[in-house]
Amino acid sequence: MRSLAYALLLGLVGAAIVHIAVLLMVPAYSERDAWSKLAAAAGPYSIVRVSGDETVEPLVSGIDPLFEAAACRFDLSEAPARLAGRETVPFWSVSVYDRAGVNLYSFNDRTADQGLLDLLIVTPAQMLELRKELPAEYERSVIVETEATEGIVVVRAFRPDAEWRAEVLRFLEGVTCRPA
Amino acid sequence: MLRAIFLTAVTLLVAVGGGAASVWYALDHVGGLGALEIGAWTAYPATGTAGVDPYSRARASRGAELPLGPSEGLEFTAGRDDGGEPLRRECDYVVEGPSPAARFFTLHAEDAAGRPIRRAAWRPRSGEARPRPPALHSHEVLREADGRVVVAVSGMPRPGNWLYAGGSGPMTLVLALYDTPVASSARVGEVGLPAIRRVGCPS
Repeated sequence: MRSLAYALLLGLVGAAIVHIAVLLMVPAYSERDAWSKLAAAAGPYSIVRVSGDETVEPLVSGIDPLFEAAACRFDLSEAPARLAGRETVPFWSVSVYDRAGVNLYSFNDRTADQGLLDLLIVTPAQMLELRKELPAEYERSVIVETEATEGIVVVRAFRPDAEWRAEVLRFLEGVTCRPA
Repeated sequence: MLRAIFLTAVTLLVAVGGGAASVWYALDHVGGLGALEIGAWTAYPATGTAGVDPYSRARASRGAELPLGPSEGLEFTAGRDDGGEPLRRECDYVVEGPSPAARFFTLHAEDAAGRPIRRAAWRPRSGEARPRPPALHSHEVLREADGRVVVAVSGMPRPGNWLYAGGSGPMTLVLALYDTPVASSARVGEVGLPAIRRVGCPS
């Protein structure tokens, strides 16, 4: 009897260890996370609409029904990533996520120069290169330095009503995401 | 010999089974750490930062969520009214209070699965069906003379500001503040959010 109690106690200690291990492994091994869903939808450096509407299920969850959103996967191992938009809408915001979906950096149209989206995502090594001499084309860019070499960048745009839908979708389609 | 095998099996079963089951239970039923509670509303300001706790992180990963960053906004959810009763889609509610400190806000209702509660498309006698967005935002709501916002949440049309929430089952109200100092500043305790009052339920 005593050995059974001992076995149960040992099992509980083991359960605590397994709990922590599983919890930390869920983000790394999840096949239903945003990264996997985006990877199934399109390759890196292509813009994918992630918001839904009456007929389309959103690709990722937690997007406000009054927003349209688009995501792009980037890979900094070769070159920095550049995200640029040409138009403005009533409100847009951008978040940079690492592969596991942790939000690393965010900003909105008020922070951007003239309300235009222009973002450069770099690794610390690429930042050093940029510091030596900043190319003129990046003078107005918001530059984000990140340790993560792979990640997701999401652009969200507010759609006040149905009339704005076409314009907001055009804004998102006009956003370019490419290696710089 | 047999006894040793049995005891080892018990230990392993408790460890692996209990460990895995407790993670799933925690992810489904326990809220994240670092909750910010204002009235009936709850937000997790750390979810959108690198300082996210492992439970919120695992939950976001499993649900394919990409949480709002502090410069984008902050999402408050409420599963209960101010009286502490769970929110039901059958019941009528009034969301009433000061306009929160933000560039703008949106308010919508979600079903138990986390999907926005949409109304069937409204079909005018002529022309195409026009689906109504399942949410309200601060640029379109009517305000009282003193600047307060009063929104009726109901399955039936209501005068003034009306948010559709019909059907049956539990629901969650989501109030999202965009470009708000609340998400990034330390003065989170001073934020005034609207109250959720139950008007009535069908008996």
